[in-house]
Amino acid sequence: MAATPSPRSEASALARFLTEASGAKAVEVGPLTPLAGGAMRHNWRFDAQFSDGALAGVQRLVLRSPGPARFAESLAPGTEFAVLRAAFVAGVRVPEPLFAGADEAICGRPFLVMRHIAGIAAPARITAMNALPAVAEQLGRELARLHRIRPPRRDLAALPAYHDPRSRIAALRAALDRRREPRPVLEWGIRWLETNLPGPIAPVLCHRDFRTGNYLLEGAALAAILDWEFAGWGDPYEDIGWFCCKAWRFARLDREAGGIADRKSLYRGYESEAGRRIDPQRVHFWEILANLRWAVIALQQSDRYMLAGERNLDLALTGRRATESELEILMLIDPAGAPRDA
Amino acid sequence: MRDPPSGPRLLALARTVLSEELTPLLPPDRQDEARLVAAAMALAEREAAAGDAHFATILSELAAFYQEGPSPSRCAGPSLSLHCGERAGVRGDPADLLRRFAADLRCGAFAAARERAARALLWRLTLARLRLEHPEFLAANGFA
Repeated sequence: MAATPSPRSEASALARFLTEASGAKAVEVGPLTPLAGGAMRHNWRFDAQFSDGALAGVQRLVLRSPGPARFAESLAPGTEFAVLRAAFVAGVRVPEPLFAGADEAICGRPFLVMRHIAGIAAPARITAMNALPAVAEQLGRELARLHRIRPPRRDLAALPAYHDPRSRIAALRAALDRRREPRPVLEWGIRWLETNLPGPIAPVLCHRDFRTGNYLLEGAALAAILDWEFAGWGDPYEDIGWFCCKAWRFARLDREAGGIADRKSLYRGYESEAGRRIDPQRVHFWEILANLRWAVIALQQSDRYMLAGERNLDLALTGRRATESELEILMLIDPAGAPRDA
Repeated sequence: MRDPPSGPRLLALARTVLSEELTPLLPPDRQDEARLVAAAMALAEREAAAGDAHFATILSELAAFYQEGPSPSRCAGPSLSLHCGERAGVRGDPADLLRRFAADLRCGAFAAARERAARALLWRLTLARLRLEHPEFLAANGFA
């Protein structure tokens, strides 16, 4: 697999941009180091010395830009910047976004610059730790804080309009229709969703990829929530269902909150910040939808190899993981139907 | 007639050499890729050893499900390549049979005992696939 490419720009182009954007007299940029992770976005860490102004001194920063693969749901960096800014202002623990730019001399694509925050995000390492109920509770509080952001917002006008569950289901069906191989379990699961739609709810700003692997831990404490490229207006329960989806429990399937703690810890934090109780039935619906969404994404990843010829073993193998979500869909909808002799 | 060792045994040996002897020699930033290669080889090995017999059994059960039970009524749901309630696939291509099953499930064509029988087939199909694709995941979920 190809390593994360360096920006093809010289550091001087980035220094020029930062000088103009920050209003400093001069900015010196150190070497750019690729950061691990981020299937759709590339991230590079670098230090920048600002001569004066609000950022005077050495700042540890991250340059973030889309990778070569396009994904329909992925936000443009400028929109992701606006989301990150809104979350930061709302008090959500995120890296402070500083600038967004479109100068292609810097990395060939639009980009954003944010503060670098140290910590680990690797799910295998995080879920191998002792249970982290305090982190789950904190994540619940952060999520509730994010969900206070509601439309309409002029600063978030570039976000796509709210899609209710019915339209999300239709999109999953359309994705299945574009594939040649039938997936009976997914069809059955979609049918269940259609016949068990939750009542209407006021849309909020959702992260849409809120899961273990997309936050940083410093020791055993939450440092920051990352990867906002799929954010959008949605049902707040979508984020809760996605966080609890079994695919994101990694080494610890038994810890229902992201492989780090029990569900109660996450719910406790959310409820204390939001001032309202979580409806387990609504989480159940969104958790089933989360499994369907992940199964479809896994199949689409595999299609990037099978149909688009992208030579990537990780993508090819991901498609074979869709069946894991199908098992979870069966276990969630039909727990009594599991064969006793299996 | 092929000479031994069989394809699955060769794959098993090659995977062991890769995992135990070659992977540790790679720089740390390439070792995850070597583990992916080993995982792909393990999957291919299990599939080659198992053959298609188990899936063929489940597909024959699915064919029997359609031959023995009443045909579901046609509905006006969105279409797959086969429409809900069509007879195609019962004796034909297994993929067509699965397509028909998927289309019928999409539009909720089964009720009561037929629906329970359809769910049982979904379970059997899923467990059979996971036994090949990810047996550790199956075990971690309490399935032997």
